Amino acid sequence: MAQQESARVRAEEEPLLSVENLQTAFFTDKETIRAVDGVSFDIRRGETVGIVGESGSGKSVTARSIMGLVDSPGRVLDGSSIRFDGEELTDKTEEQYRGIRGGEIAMVFQDPLTSLNPVYTVGNQIKEALRLHQGLRGAAATEEAIELLEAVGIPDASRRVTEYPHEFSGGMRQRAVIAMALACDPELLICDEPTTALDVTIQAQILELLDELQEERGLAIMFITHDMGVIAEVSDRVNVMYAGEIVESAPVEELFENPRHPYTQGLLRSIPGNQPGSERLETIEGDVPTPNEPATYCRFEPRCPKAFEECTRVHPASVEVNTGVDAEDHSAACLLYPEDVSQAEAVELHEQRNSEREVSER
Amino acid sequence: MSRWRYFAKRVLLSVPVLVFGASITFVVIRAGPLDPVSAILGPQGDPQAYNTIKRQLGLNQPLWQQYVDYMVNLFTLNLGQSWVQQPDTSVYSLVLTYAPRTIWLGFWSVLIALFIGIPLGFYAGLNPNTLSDYTASFGGIVWRAMPNFWLAVILMSVLSQSEKFFFGFDWQSWAYATNVTGPPPLDNLTSFDGFMRALKKIAPAALVLGSASMGNEMRIGRTAVLETVNSNFIETAKAKGVPPRSLVWKHIFRNALIPLVPIITGEAFILIGGSVLVETVFDISGIGYLFFQAVKNGDMPLVGSLMFIFILLVVLINIVQDFLYTIIDPRVGYEGGA
Repeated sequence: MAQQESARVRAEEEPLLSVENLQTAFFTDKETIRAVDGVSFDIRRGETVGIVGESGSGKSVTARSIMGLVDSPGRVLDGSSIRFDGEELTDKTEEQYRGIRGGEIAMVFQDPLTSLNPVYTVGNQIKEALRLHQGLRGAAATEEAIELLEAVGIPDASRRVTEYPHEFSGGMRQRAVIAMALACDPELLICDEPTTALDVTIQAQILELLDELQEERGLAIMFITHDMGVIAEVSDRVNVMYAGEIVESAPVEELFENPRHPYTQGLLRSIPGNQPGSERLETIEGDVPTPNEPATYCRFEPRCPKAFEECTRVHPASVEVNTGVDAEDHSAACLLYPEDVSQAEAVELHEQRNSEREVSER
Repeated sequence: MSRWRYFAKRVLLSVPVLVFGASITFVVIRAGPLDPVSAILGPQGDPQAYNTIKRQLGLNQPLWQQYVDYMVNLFTLNLGQSWVQQPDTSVYSLVLTYAPRTIWLGFWSVLIALFIGIPLGFYAGLNPNTLSDYTASFGGIVWRAMPNFWLAVILMSVLSQSEKFFFGFDWQSWAYATNVTGPPPLDNLTSFDGFMRALKKIAPAALVLGSASMGNEMRIGRTAVLETVNSNFIETAKAKGVPPRSLVWKHIFRNALIPLVPIITGEAFILIGGSVLVETVFDISGIGYLFFQAVKNGDMPLVGSLMFIFILLVVLINIVQDFLYTIIDPRVGYEGGA
């Protein structure tokens, strides 16, 4: 299968984006909210990595941290590392960062209806990106903008380029936003719930468009969503986030066939239509807690159907869960794993991992 | 295209507004207790003369006839002559004497509001919750809170004895010798000296008149900027790598101006009404003062004509507002539904 083949290639290649122990916290008068708490993942060229989780699990903050767009009172903490194409982004000055934003890393936001400036034409806003990163101006820029609009499937692009955002429909606007993001040939495209505000047919079109663009341009895509169905369709690899942490990470088919973390299992069970026999849709009871202190326990424990005593005491580290061929690529942060040892041994392993991490952080 | 069609529609709509306004003015003047004849004659006029004058002025004609004459005269811009105020002087020449002073006053008070209020508001909005924001916001509230008539009187009395308050600084003899009150000398505006003299003369009155709108525009400017800064398209622009300066001037500024347009033009209306008060305190014989006197004396043609001019002005400001909207906001006149 292509899946396994790509998995083998994956391990050999240098990742395009490598996030290591990313911690982003918001400092308010009342408390410190650790919105992203020790997240690590890689994205390789031409690959789509999905990030999935409930609202408030820190997906968007992760994206903004990579873009360097975390606003005060938020801050990316020391010890976090974001390496892009061999360069460390967290050390960059605001001005250096600006060259990367929109240039090598572009971002598409959630709500296409409000993410274009209402008082400038669509063409003007695409040309702005071209001017900033490629120095294109005037007729050459207009031409390029028209080509971009055509590339994202907007008909009659030469007329559309002079129109204002309010003259575009929702789906068209998202296409225009994608065109703007692609203006400077980025290597990584971060999509923060790009289809959430659109209806299902338009959503399918946009996903298809992203797929085509990825193939044509060799884009790496980081796809954030709370929709498991969308994730299954677009991504090669999935990271499941919960309360600021990645709780499970696996290739997409592996994750759907063989979810290991109780949270992922719960998420998959709560997809409508997945449990044809049952009367009611299954849900995960409760809400995502606000992570306002360093975790010394499992944050999912209060909602976990499989919780046991140690869960309130030991913070689970990410460990390999050994299943079949893709063993190396599937990890989960849960005290139930690794499975091949007794529970007491597993807990001990997690404790040991935690203390190792603390030492290395110091 | 539809933007300009919308604008043309708004201009056309102002015609019925003019007709309606003029009619209401007619009703108010004729139905009210104004009695120009006894104002001309004085309290002890004899009935014989009273009736003669009444006939001369055409006040014995049926009301509809008077109305038709009045409307036709107004819309052919035949404004007639003053009856009581300055008998046998044409309304035109009266307006030409009095209006420039008011225009001079209004011009500067609008400028003060525009060029101090809005920049301060934008600055505060761009640096929210800092010391400078608090200072500017607090100042804005204080300026807004001071009523015109009070501020006018206080400023006048302080400036006329400024050497007592400002350690020997004498406003009246500073730069150009002027009194605090009195009409500004407008006959020599083309020369630098004449211009500065007229400017210094009008400054206190303009400051008073502009203060309330200055505070208003500051507050609203601040809110408008804050709202724009937090909108999604600003985040998109940031993610595109737009540098802060062009973020502010290209993306934030124009959007923040949209809610300010009606505020600015709305302030212009207030200036028309407010100027009567300030003109009286500072003894600037402007058009507001002229109107007030005309109403007191029952000078019907003068009152009617001035009202017509005011209505015309309001309509014009409205058209300017629509024009600004049409320029700034491309969504104006768009009927496709968003």
